[in-house]
This record gives sequence, structure tokens and C-alpha cells, in this order.
Amino acid sequence: MELADRAVGLLLSSISLSIFTYYTFWVIILPFVDSDHFIHKYFLPQDYAILLPVFAGVTLLSLLSVFIGMVMLKSKKKKA
Amino acid sequence: MKHVVKILSLLVAVSAFWIVLLQAAIVPQSHTLLLPIYFVVSLGCYGLLMVGIGIMQFPTCPQEAVLLNHVLSLPSFFLSYVVNIKSFLLTCFSCVLQDIAEAKDFLSTNGIDIGTY
Repeated sequence: MELADRAVGLLLSSISLSIFTYYTFWVIILPFVDSDHFIHKYFLPQDYAILLPVFAGVTLLSLLSVFIGMVMLKSKKKKA
Repeated sequence: MKHVVKILSLLVAVSAFWIVLLQAAIVPQSHTLLLPIYFVVSLGCYGLLMVGIGIMQFPTCPQEAVLLNHVLSLPSFFLSYVVNIKSFLLTCFSCVLQDIAEAKDFLSTNGIDIGTY
């Protein structure tokens, strides 16, 4: 259905845009702001700016490899 | 090959720019070290955005859907489809069937009887 497609597309675009703006603020703008500004309350410590993407990337890679391994095992079982 | 060269040269240029930024220390070093991760994350976000926009703009072709439903609901279409499959399979395996028939004849002439299937 067209409406459901558009809703899903809108949701995905908004999620990606929000992640991009939050991350840009976090990494680029925040280090130039004084450390006693109120905005620092809304952002996690800067160490997490590295940890979170690396963790997400590692999770993605491991999920992919698990999926590929399962597909390979299934195809081998079918052949045998 | 040209594409690979283009992408590699872009990568080399970006890394050279990054190293220059690190050495020049215009911006604090800890800040500059975060740039590659930032670009990777922004690339992922850009990909997601393009996928979202593509999903929003995907056309559903309602007229063609109606036509297709109409065609598929006709029983004659289904029957002709099945008959075509059968004839197609028969033509594919006709050589095999002929070989089986010839083998049967040969073996029966030599005294071995293979029952009909």
C-alpha cells in the first residue's frame, strides 16, 4: 500500500537525519562550546562518540557473518 | 578499472587532507582524530536517507496491478500456462526419453526385459 510505504520511508529518513544531526553536533560543534554550557547536559560524554559507532559496526559485521554462516550450513545440509 | 582508480584516488586525497590537518594542529588533535569515524557514520546515514527517499518515491503502478489481476484470474490463462510448461518440459527431456527407449530396445534384443514404468 502506498501510504504504508511512504510512512516507512519517512520514518527511515527522519531517523537517519536525526542521527546525523546529533552526531554532527556531538563530534564537531560541542568541543568548541564552553564546558559549563547547559547544552552539555543533553549529550553523552565524548568517549561514547567513538564507542557507539564502533560497537554498532562490530555488531553489524558479526550479524552478517552469522547469517552467511547459517546459509552456508543450510546449503551444505541440503546437498548431503 | 577506471572506477577503482577514481575511488582509490579519492581515498588517498581524503587521507592526505586528514594527515595534513593532524600535523598543522589548526584544530586540537583529539578533535581531528574523530574525523574518519564521523565520515563513516555520515556515509551510513546518507545511505539510509537515500533508501528512505527511494521507498517514499517508489511507484505502485495501480493500473498495471489491475490488469495483471484481471489476466491472472482467467482460468484459460492458467491452463495454457500449465500446458505450455508441460510441452516445454517434454521438449527438454525428449532426448533423454529417446535414449531411454533406445536402451530398452537394445537390452530387450539382448534378452534383458526392463518392465514398463
